[in-house]
Amino acid sequence: MNQRGRLHPISIAIREISDIFGRMGFGIAYGPELEDEWHNFTALNVPADHPARDMQDTFWIKNDPGHVLRTHATSVTMRSLEEMSKTGATEMRMINPGKVFRNEATDMTHEAQFYQLDGFAVGPTGTVTLANLKGTFDRFYREYFGPNTKVRFRPSFFGFTEPSVEIDVWFEAPGKGGRWLETAGAGMLHPNVLRNAGLDPEKTQGFAFGGGLERLLMVKYGIPDVRLFHSGDIRFVYGFEEKKV
Amino acid sequence: MKISRNWLQKYFEKPLPNAEDIADALTFHAFEIEEQQGDSMDVKVLPNRAADCLCHRGIAKELSAILDVPMKKDPLREVLPEFPRTSALSVEVEDSQKCQRYMGALVRGVKIGPSPDWLCEALESVGQRSINNVVDATNYVMLNIGQPLHAFDAANLAQKDGTYKITVRVTDKVSETVDLLSVGEIIPQEGTLLITDGNSSKPLAIAGIKGGSQAGVTENTTDLIVESANFDGTMIRRTAQALKLITDASLRFQNRPSPELCAYGMRDVLSLITEIAGGEVEGVTDAYPACQERSREVSVSLSRINGVLGSDFSKEEVENVFKRLDLDTKTNGETFIVTPPFERIDLTPPAGGPEDLAEEAGRVLGYDQVPATELPPVSNEPNHARYRGIEKVKDFLVEKGFTEISTQSFAKDGEVMLANPLDKNMPALRASLDENMKKALAQAVYSAPLVFTPNEKPKLFEIGTIFTKDSEKLEVKTSEPISDLPAIQDDKNYIPQQYQLGSYQQFSVYPFITRDIALWVPSGTNASDVGKLIQNTAGELLVRTPYKFDEFSKDGKTSFAFSLIFQSFDRTLTDEEINVVIAGISEALKGEGYEVR
Repeated sequence: MNQRGRLHPISIAIREISDIFGRMGFGIAYGPELEDEWHNFTALNVPADHPARDMQDTFWIKNDPGHVLRTHATSVTMRSLEEMSKTGATEMRMINPGKVFRNEATDMTHEAQFYQLDGFAVGPTGTVTLANLKGTFDRFYREYFGPNTKVRFRPSFFGFTEPSVEIDVWFEAPGKGGRWLETAGAGMLHPNVLRNAGLDPEKTQGFAFGGGLERLLMVKYGIPDVRLFHSGDIRFVYGFEEKKV
Repeated sequence: MKISRNWLQKYFEKPLPNAEDIADALTFHAFEIEEQQGDSMDVKVLPNRAADCLCHRGIAKELSAILDVPMKKDPLREVLPEFPRTSALSVEVEDSQKCQRYMGALVRGVKIGPSPDWLCEALESVGQRSINNVVDATNYVMLNIGQPLHAFDAANLAQKDGTYKITVRVTDKVSETVDLLSVGEIIPQEGTLLITDGNSSKPLAIAGIKGGSQAGVTENTTDLIVESANFDGTMIRRTAQALKLITDASLRFQNRPSPELCAYGMRDVLSLITEIAGGEVEGVTDAYPACQERSREVSVSLSRINGVLGSDFSKEEVENVFKRLDLDTKTNGETFIVTPPFERIDLTPPAGGPEDLAEEAGRVLGYDQVPATELPPVSNEPNHARYRGIEKVKDFLVEKGFTEISTQSFAKDGEVMLANPLDKNMPALRASLDENMKKALAQAVYSAPLVFTPNEKPKLFEIGTIFTKDSEKLEVKTSEPISDLPAIQDDKNYIPQQYQLGSYQQFSVYPFITRDIALWVPSGTNASDVGKLIQNTAGELLVRTPYKFDEFSKDGKTSFAFSLIFQSFDRTLTDEEINVVIAGISEALKGEGYEVR
């Protein structure tokens, strides 16, 4: 009997998303889950006394005060930007799919560990703009969710971007009406972040984004509880009809 | 923060749009609205604007800019009065880092009583309770312009040579108790900043967080010491957290409002107290050691704004936005030289810069005005080698019949321990995937009949990060050995298999029951027809299609054996009720002339 296995839906999603972003010139980057404070906070313009650095939001490592479990995959963006500055590259686009950690109580929509789809695009000043961020997500959502999606921005705040926006997508679930869903935080990389990577913010400019990956899947496939993803339960993995493409 | 539309209306001649439209205007140009009920809305003020927008005046200012409707008055633009000075109140600030400014006012001859209706209604409209006229006045001014205020009963402070003295100092080394209003006695951590009676050294309040009972305003109070101060945001946040005492005052101070605001708060609260509680202001003492005039200028060019946003805004449009936001703007050709007002610390260097001005232009004009423009093509092939290398191993395992699982990174034991685990039983980071694999396999063996056919067996794999003393790495773990498993290696040419998934069907959490049914049928009978008959008769408790696991022929007859699985979404099934279902199936099969064995 030729038994065939199955991929976890997170893997399937990362492949689909990597394909879409790949066609827009994005590479795929990975970085450590146990991260130093510099890449997770300081370099990303999150000041030393910021609430995010308090014990209740972030997992800290015992007897190793300078290290945390990364709270976002933006730390990988920081590492790529440092790489750019080292190699002298003038443009780069990457997505960073990976596990991140938040020290918060879990429920149907919150997990202390989940995947984030983080990423960035930078280029010479004036070439990568907020309009390009919109264009990128407009295309990503159309290809991932279907042709009827729309994208809108709302003002937001993150230390590492300025301006900062929330990205909402208009999604029509099969059999249900359409609705706006908050899917990612994003914005133009803050000049301090570029500077911290050793890049010149007068010459380099770009956008960064990040959002929960499970949430996208929950919306797309109607998954009721985020805790199913990393439960190790095969009944979850087999809860979908699967078709090779 | 709760905001009332009626309260906002006080700032405008023209009637404001209804609360829903206000909520929309704020959502798309300033802040998200968490909840909107009638005329009241809960505004989620962004962290960078919490210094100036945790109040009705701040939200009114935003609305004025967004809707392009002028404010009829702006308390922060009205010239400050010369406060009378007094020698009857002195103020001492021991650490100007922790307390940037302390204004105290001595008011004599007030009459404590109920507040006028308009004030009670205003407070109620944002979910606050009226206490008495003086306390209400301090709360109202805070909710109106954002400056936290406090009133002490002067009679409970000692006088020395006819002078009251406020000393702002940290707790003594010996544990000092403070009796807090509506909280009771507490012993704050060493180093907590206190407001104390400088003559008696008694604590009066935890600075910026909560007033004490020692000098609380009561119905007998006639003389007040009114405080309008500014305390260090980080200190206030940490102290409030340590005391588990998050108050309206602490929330505002932790967002670092400008110390300039103290004087506006003092002006407004003194005017309101004397209006509704009578009394006379004897004088104001202002300790403002941190006062220094700094240049607040920021400049940005039109091309930089459009270069960041990817927009095509005109000079006039941007200039108009800055005017609507009440930013003092000079132009030099295409360059805007902006001096933000004192309360906009988010736009003032070092926090603010040209990008912040680009954001102001973008959000006020509207991000819907920013086009969606695709990125230009890149010259180099994007780097997917690592990703493809990882996915190649997954595809290999799937082809060999392995199912991918994902498990938690926290573990009972490991080499790297968390300083603050969420679950005390899982204080470590996993040093291997073994433990989780064992558990997942046991669970998979149990659930196997639900997802596998009887001749398949669960084989699992996980690719996940493990943490050892000095490093972390990606490990591949399989539930059983596999001889030719390749190592993860970068591969820029491998094309991972793509899949399409249908909607998710949630499994039942209740136990399932398996039953086999075997029967003789005439040769040539189609097994799937029999299966269908079984399925239709079994009803909704049957999960999965009946699986035919055996078939043989003898003497012109064929024997089929099917395996059936029953499970309910809302209860644990009993053998008795499944016996009934099986009996029903047998009847139906016999009805077709089949012989159930």
